[in-house]
Amino acid sequence: MKAAIIGAGLGGLLAGAKLSKAGYEVEIFERLPFIGGRFANLEYKGFKLSTGALHMIPHGSRGPLAQMLREVGADVEIIDSNPMAVIMKDTGETIEFHDFRKGLSLTKRVKLGAILACSLKFKPKSNISFRDWILKYFDEEFLLKLADSFCGWSLSLQAKDVPAREMLEIIDNMYRYKGSGIPVGGCGAVTGALADVISSNGGRIHTLSCVEKIITDKDRAKGISVNGKTIDADIVISDIGHLETSRMFECRDEVYSERIQKVIPSKGIKICLSSDETLIGHSGVFFTPYAERINGINEVTNADPSLAPPGKHLIMSHQAVISDDLNKEIALGLLDLKKLFPGKKYEVLLIQSYSNGWPVNRASSGSDIGNRTPLCNLYVVGDGAKGKGGIEVEGVALGVSNAMKEIGV
Amino acid sequence: MKVSQQCVGCGQCAAYCPYDAIIVFGRASMNEKCVECGTCVRYCPVCAIAEE
Repeated sequence: MKAAIIGAGLGGLLAGAKLSKAGYEVEIFERLPFIGGRFANLEYKGFKLSTGALHMIPHGSRGPLAQMLREVGADVEIIDSNPMAVIMKDTGETIEFHDFRKGLSLTKRVKLGAILACSLKFKPKSNISFRDWILKYFDEEFLLKLADSFCGWSLSLQAKDVPAREMLEIIDNMYRYKGSGIPVGGCGAVTGALADVISSNGGRIHTLSCVEKIITDKDRAKGISVNGKTIDADIVISDIGHLETSRMFECRDEVYSERIQKVIPSKGIKICLSSDETLIGHSGVFFTPYAERINGINEVTNADPSLAPPGKHLIMSHQAVISDDLNKEIALGLLDLKKLFPGKKYEVLLIQSYSNGWPVNRASSGSDIGNRTPLCNLYVVGDGAKGKGGIEVEGVALGVSNAMKEIGV
Repeated sequence: MKVSQQCVGCGQCAAYCPYDAIIVFGRASMNEKCVECGTCVRYCPVCAIAEE
């Protein structure tokens, strides 16, 4: 059985590793000169920056991605962060993430516990947003700001744009898997290890290989056309999102075409800093609910010093994009950093923004439509088809896992 | 090099530029160090860079 995979991003590589392990002949075609997509390293001025995601695995060594990496035999070391996360309060003091309730009155704490327990069991069926869901029970500025900070950091969305039921799935997963962790060697170490698994299973990965077309026969994919050459396949996996995939074949399914038009990509800004002294002091997430734009920051060199030149720290901030004025958003982010680290000496290495054709997530959380397509043996994986309640790359792993179940692997 | 409206500002071109000639702030732009070598064209994920 032959599987052709379009795109060597994390989703394509995870699918490739699973399928090649199960005995499929796997061939992956990547348009860019390197593998890993938005989960790769970017060498810059002696630092290991990243093409897209931060060097972080949201649920660390116990999460769905780590589980899948172990399953396929990918050699990746994940250092769990301790503390997992801290929150910077309006007073400037920091508290551990798990202690976020401590700022509330006793009555509110009890109420929050009860509501959370009940809502995790019976998730809202309506499309109520996470922000409105909080407002239904609490009129508490701190909780609303924390929700925006958390949603911005992990999903590149504001709490008003995330369905409460998706957020409750994420909270469920936080209790189940805990978090977060840093992959030693950065994002590139994860995608590199997956590529090694695929080649040791006899699979092949081609870079600079542009897939032009998915060749169909009635409701089946027969293969793909790459750089003008036809590749026959029994299964085709696409790691480039539903919309781009649908443009590669004549799609007659109107319901599907309509649904994929509604999928909204998420936008974000990452600012990479270098500093001689530590700015955060641990590798956990530093949530900044009271900053104007920055949602959170991490300092990965506390877990893996090799991500920066000797004696340097690598710090990355992330913010969701709120307005249409990208330059203004970046300027506000830079101003936030100045205010968050007064008197500290740091250098801005690179400012990276993501939107439209190269977004944070092709399908923002809550707008995923699953892995299936109108062609019975064509599946979409990656950040355009994440699994329920999966933050970023954890969602990619859950989505690949769902697709593999459908295929029977 | 010419950068189109497709550019999102991901910075991949800047990291791969052998001449340190690309500045990124919401969008990529080339400075006077650019020698039009065309390396950035291949590394752009949204095909936003073309030779002039």
